[in-house]
Parts: sequence; C-alpha cells; structure tokens
Amino acid sequence: MMTRNNLLLLALFVVLAFVPQVFTDGYVRHLFIIAFIYAIIASNWNLSLGHCGIFNFGHMTFFGIGVYTAAILTKTTGVNPWLAIPACAITAAISAVIMAAPVARLKGIYVVLVTFAVNQLVMQLVLSQADLTGGAKGLVRLPFLTIGDYSFIRDYKLGYYYLALILLGLSTAFLILVAGSPFGKSLKAVRDAEDYATARGISVARTRISVLVLSAIFTGIAGGFYTVYLRVASPEVFGFSTMSLVLSMVLIGGINSVLGPVIAALALTFASEAMAGIGGFEDARYIVIAVAMILVLRLAPGGLIQILERLMPTGRKPATPTRSPA
Amino acid sequence: MDTLLATLVSGLVLGSLYALMASGLSLVWTTLGVFNFAHGALMMVGAFIAWTVSEAVGAGPVAGVVAGTLGAGLIGIVIERLVIRPFYASRNMLLVTAMTTLAVTIILERGAQMIWGPRLKQLPPLVDGEIRLFGNAISAHEALLLVAAPVILIALWRFTVSSKIGRSLRAVGQNQDSAALIGVDVPKAFALAFAISAALAGLTGALLGSIRFITPAMGSEPLTKAMIVVIFGGLGSLGSTAGAAYLIGFIEAFLVLWVGLYWTPFALFLLMILVLLLRPNGIFGKR
Repeated sequence: MMTRNNLLLLALFVVLAFVPQVFTDGYVRHLFIIAFIYAIIASNWNLSLGHCGIFNFGHMTFFGIGVYTAAILTKTTGVNPWLAIPACAITAAISAVIMAAPVARLKGIYVVLVTFAVNQLVMQLVLSQADLTGGAKGLVRLPFLTIGDYSFIRDYKLGYYYLALILLGLSTAFLILVAGSPFGKSLKAVRDAEDYATARGISVARTRISVLVLSAIFTGIAGGFYTVYLRVASPEVFGFSTMSLVLSMVLIGGINSVLGPVIAALALTFASEAMAGIGGFEDARYIVIAVAMILVLRLAPGGLIQILERLMPTGRKPATPTRSPA
Repeated sequence: MDTLLATLVSGLVLGSLYALMASGLSLVWTTLGVFNFAHGALMMVGAFIAWTVSEAVGAGPVAGVVAGTLGAGLIGIVIERLVIRPFYASRNMLLVTAMTTLAVTIILERGAQMIWGPRLKQLPPLVDGEIRLFGNAISAHEALLLVAAPVILIALWRFTVSSKIGRSLRAVGQNQDSAALIGVDVPKAFALAFAISAALAGLTGALLGSIRFITPAMGSEPLTKAMIVVIFGGLGSLGSTAGAAYLIGFIEAFLVLWVGLYWTPFALFLLMILVLLLRPNGIFGKR
C-alpha cells in the first residue's frame, strides 16, 4: 500500500512539473504556488497529529514564526532571502522545542489547550511588538527573490512555481523517510499503545518533542517562502481562518497519509479560490469549508485517501484496520 | 496606593469576565467531556443578538441582554445536536469535537460578518453613571459585572449541587451508564449542559458589548484567556475554575502595571508554561 501511494505521489509530481507548460498565466500558477505551500503545512501537521497522535492545535505557530523570521530578516536586517528562508527552519524548530516542553508531559485536552494557547499568545506577541513586526498592519514590500539579475517574479512566476514544487517535493520525501524509519514506527507505537511503547523503552516525552521539531522544519521554511513570495507578513497567519483551512486539508485529505493532505491542499485551494470569485462569497467560502470539514468527520473519518483506497482494491485486505482520526 | 487599588479593581473586572467565560467551559467539560472551542464565538453571537434587539429593534438594553442570553442558549442546543451528539460513540470524541466546534467557530464568525457587516458596534450600558470603589471611579456597568459574576457563579454552583436536574448533570458527568440506569435522560442532560453554558457565554457577550466593541472576532481573546484560566485551574470543578479566573484577572492587571500592556501576553504565556512544567494538571488540579 505504501509503495503504491508513493508511486501515485511520484506521478502527481511529474504531472505538476509540467503544469507551467499548460498554464502560462501568472494567476493559475499563483494558485498552484499557494496550494503547494498549504500542502507542505498540512502534510507536516499530519506528522504530529496523525502519525504521533499529538492533539496539536498550534501547528500554524511554526508557519507564522517562519513568516515573521523571513520578513524581519529580509526587511529589517537586510539579509538575503536565500539565507532567510532556511533560517526559518531553525527558528520554527526552536519554537517547537518551547511548545513541546510542556506538551511532552501533558495528556488529552491539556495538549489541545496549551498548543492552541501558544498559537494565540504568539499572535498577541506579534501584534503587541509593533516596532519589530509592524503590529496589526504587518510588514509589507519585502525584497524580491532574485538570482543575479533574474527576478523570480518574471516569466509569470515560473521561478516561484518550481521553487515551491521543489520545496513540496523535499518536504514530502522527508515525511516518507520519517514515517518509514524506525522512529516513524515508534511514533505510531506512542500513539496507539503509549504504555506498551514505554515498556519497550521508547521515551514518550522525547518522541513527542522530536516529532514536533521535525514537523516544524519544513513548515517554517514554507512560512519563509510564503512571505518572501507574497512580500507581505501579516498576523492573519495565526488566525482561526487560516488554521481551520489547513486543518480541513489534513482532515479531508486523510489523517495518517502523506498523499491525502497534498491532494486536499490542491483541491481546497482551487475550490476556495473559485468560490471567492462568486460575488458575496468572500466569507461564505470559509463556511462551506467548515461544513465540509464537519461532514468529513461525520461521514468519512479516514478522509479522501480512504475513499480513494476503497475505490482501488489491492486484492488484499489493508494491513491495519481503518481508524478514526487520532 | 492609588495605583495599587486601581489595579485591584481592574483585576476584579477582568477576573469576573474570565470567571463567567471559563465556568461555561468547565460545565460542558465536566458533563460531556467536550472542550467547546465555539464558546468565544457563542459569546460574540450573544453580543450581536443583544445589539440587534436593543439597538436595531429598539427594545432597550435589558431586553437585549435577555435576548442575547436566550439566543446563544438556543444556538448552543443546535450545536450540541448537530456537531457533538453524532460523535458520542467515537473513540476520539475529544479530538473530533474539538475540531467540529472549531469549525462551528468559523461558521459563526463568518456568518456574523455576513449578517452584521464589518462596522464596529457597541451596546449602551445597562446602568448609567459611575460608582466609586476603593476611591476609584468605575462605570456602573462594570460594577454590575462585578456583582453579577459571583451571583451567577454561586447560582450555578447551587444548581449543580442542590437541584435535582443539576445533580443529574453531575451524575452524567461522573458515569453515563450508571446515570442512565437510575433514570437520568443522558442526551437531555447533555443538551441542557450545553444550553446553560452557551447561555452563559451569550450573557457574558451581551454584558461585554457595552464595554468593548462588538466585532465577529471579539470572542477569540476572552476564549484564549479562559483557556489559560482552565490550564491554571484545571477543568475539574467549578470552584477551582472560578478561583483561577480571578487569580488570572489579578495577575494580568498587575502585569500590565509592572511590565506594560505590550509585554503582558508574553509574561502570561511564560507563566503558563512554567506552571505546566511544574504542575501538569494545573495549580488546583488533582493528580
């Protein structure tokens, strides 16, 4: 099953590599770029939420930290964006350690509360430190991404498109490697049988801290790229709407899978953008997505990927029974 | 001395607000085992309904507060029926309902944006004038909040301890099966707990609507603070939640005095992490 999904992923990436040849206008490419960024956040969120079963509601913090790291580095201190984007991985990982410190020992609802509160408090911190972060207005007109004299905005965002696709490819490969490694198996052990995992010598606290840090790396980079691409950093990235949009990608795509959130990110970004085109639907589209999220939880807790797998029988039963999201 | 007293009064006002918010969260948690993320949004809806009845319809602020309370309570019943009840049997009910109530928050916030628009709104105070408390002038409306919060909390506590229905809520919270065996209608108890909690949120919103501006996002900051209260106090009992609410109110007021408004969220945040590292179940929480 794993290998077939990986083949599907590979096929998806090959198709995506040819997309700019078909869609030559900047707008469609822009949507793909945004979708790739969401796909990175959603699939990495799934690492802590789905694979390890941490009730992490603060994943957008890592993204927001990336956004503001890149924005402050490029705008205020004049660091080259090519250096600022990787730096986001470091700051996001540090924020993950800080968040993980209390989370490592907590259980159930307290994990939800703490991770959520961390996210809200980082937002309030960003809003209050207006000298550094621009407060509610955010930071605007960040420098362009360039190689020599070539600006990435040229050729209808061709450079940004491929950079985003490469980042998504790297992130996906990283997630598959992590999930397949012995560490990835210990994640599932911690999720499904915490006591047994402890008895077999797996440190639950250390596993949780590690998985949060690992899931923060590419999320932070995605945040850095996002802000360099849009040339804007705004506190909205910490808000309810962005968070629930990405969470719906994880849920609708299918928790426990790498492929699902990527597909859901593509589908939902385009669906959301299509709805935004309908007059008076600017707010209603978020309602539609929220309703879809409830319906998926109600009717197909395994998400799209589960439906997809049911449609394509493998001739043998799945090795693991179907699970509701954990 | 004057600053100290002013800070105390301000802490008391904040504490009352947080106590009203957090007690509703605590009631739903102890009865259903659900953390309601839509609690802040319910507060916001209560404020908007109160504004509509009081200002747009012109029925006056008292009718507005009543309508906001009842309206939010009704919406609470609908929420329980649609996004909580279907998941009772789910193995991961805690996580799933956290997600569905988060989705409800989006629906309510965006819905409010569509219905009431982006313009800032405010309710007139229930009572006019000022009151001097420890030599500090506060508005009579804030004084009303100071009095109302403990009265409501004590009423809620008496209700859960003494009345038959209140005791059935606690029975359901402790053991659903046994409660059902002795004749408690469990689904009805769940709906009732959710309705009371939502009505409390609506009342808080309607009261807050003449102190702060009414916006679709007005519920998120009090919700975050209520979550911090709950982290400090634990969700287990009404008493510890209310105690923690006043404690956080005072701490916040003193932090504003000492480190300034800008650094208060950060200091509160550090304090929260410290408390969790030392006492993972909250200051008043049991092991």
